[in-house]
Amino acid sequence: MMAGIIDLILSIIFYPPIYQLVLVGLTGALVVVIFIIWFERKATARVQRRLGPYHISPRLAGLPQLVADLIRYAFQEVIIPKTVDKELFVLAPIVATVLSILPIAVVPLTSNPAYWPIPMDYSMLVALALTTVSPIFLIVAGWASNNKFSIIGGVREAFVITAYELIAIMSILSASAAVLSFNLVDIVEAQRIWYILLNPIAFLAAFLAVLMATSGFPFEIPESENEVVAGPFTEYSGLLYGLNMGAAYMKRFAFSILIALVFLGGWSPFTPGEGILSGYLIPSLIVVAKATILMMIFSLTRSIYGRFRLDQALEGAWRLVFPMAVLGFGLALLEAYLGVM
Amino acid sequence: MPAKPVVKRLPARKGLFAGFKGNVDAITIGLKYLVDPKRFTLIYPNEYIKLDPGYRGFIVLDPKKCIHCSSCARICPAAAMRMIKRMEEDPKTGKPKMKLWPVINYQRCIFCGYCVDVCPTEALYTVPYHDIVYENMAEMDWSLETFVKPPEHPTAKEGIPVKYIVDEEKGLVKVRAEEVEEK
Repeated sequence: MMAGIIDLILSIIFYPPIYQLVLVGLTGALVVVIFIIWFERKATARVQRRLGPYHISPRLAGLPQLVADLIRYAFQEVIIPKTVDKELFVLAPIVATVLSILPIAVVPLTSNPAYWPIPMDYSMLVALALTTVSPIFLIVAGWASNNKFSIIGGVREAFVITAYELIAIMSILSASAAVLSFNLVDIVEAQRIWYILLNPIAFLAAFLAVLMATSGFPFEIPESENEVVAGPFTEYSGLLYGLNMGAAYMKRFAFSILIALVFLGGWSPFTPGEGILSGYLIPSLIVVAKATILMMIFSLTRSIYGRFRLDQALEGAWRLVFPMAVLGFGLALLEAYLGVM
Repeated sequence: MPAKPVVKRLPARKGLFAGFKGNVDAITIGLKYLVDPKRFTLIYPNEYIKLDPGYRGFIVLDPKKCIHCSSCARICPAAAMRMIKRMEEDPKTGKPKMKLWPVINYQRCIFCGYCVDVCPTEALYTVPYHDIVYENMAEMDWSLETFVKPPEHPTAKEGIPVKYIVDEEKGLVKVRAEEVEEK
């Protein structure tokens, strides 16, 4: 009886989508997100001639500050106002966080079929489809809060997501147009030259779109503090607020892994072999490292750019980045016709 | 004559790539500072700014110079300075005599320095520091015994004195106070 239960639990844990979600999705993303927030604060401080987090441990350059912040968010009182729709108010940030990390459960981190989480034939479509679900729950959070700032924030989120998710998806899909396959493994294996060099326009469009769609700091149009208090998160506090903030970074991490696979060659210098070490751990670490570097570049924009107004962001999307994505798609089709990849 | 209506025109739209150079410049400056940060944060309890003499910090009385004229109490715009009566022995006659002494209340003081300026015998002077903390409000109302000696400066015991100088290339630069004084 006992052995049967342990076998059941082990079979659930080692069911490939689950362990990929837990290992890379939750644990990996948490570590990467803590590192990225620390890097963002330190890099911004360097550019702005400050020190950034310092006093909690000068030797580690203030890295434990982020752990302290995490503990603070975890133990802060969660206030649920009387006027909100309670169930949705509590559920929306949790569902948004889970959904924003879910694309990681379906991407391959190795070419060894034993460690694929799902059959890979249409994995890119599934991953891209999953990335589009979580913004709806931010709008739900704004609606459930029953507060004018939240509703304005939710509507802004809707505008930005409509403009930029489309661009992100189009420009990432251009890779599958070039390879003539929706299989992420095929796309990674086909990149003898990294796809970023073959199609820089699509990469730039994807980069800008992910930057905007995940509302990273200077482009956090839905929750810009000096216009709408905290956008959809105005009424939130404690752990739920932390989840809301974390969800944006989680989503950015999921998108970064997709971009690392599609544009940056995935596990490229390494050829996955047999066994868990060379078959799964090393290639997945390479992919996560590439995604982390990409996220560091995303974070740097915080110290360089100012905030866009909503109309400027939308105008930029429809006048500049959307044509760029279409151009990138055209370039991908041309490359497929010429047989470059 | 009525005002002429003027048709205002918006400036013509620039091309799609007009902002390209500005973006490149911004990224270059950002990367330059990222590689070579020129930061000047004051790590306060460990470092403190050494202020120049003449800085309007805490005000102290030199009792030997004071002629009990009450000018400081009269000019004080915040009514922080007031005169108190003390019975003292007159050095000439040896009889007890009533004298007025200034005392200061740092709950009210705005550090304007008028009392120091108005003092005819320069009996009041300022010390170049102001970062002193009191545990309660009553301590800030100084007695005459406290007023006649400069207050303790706790930051100077532990911290390193630094100064900020303006550099042609780097802007504000933080240096040790001794280095500036050598120059």
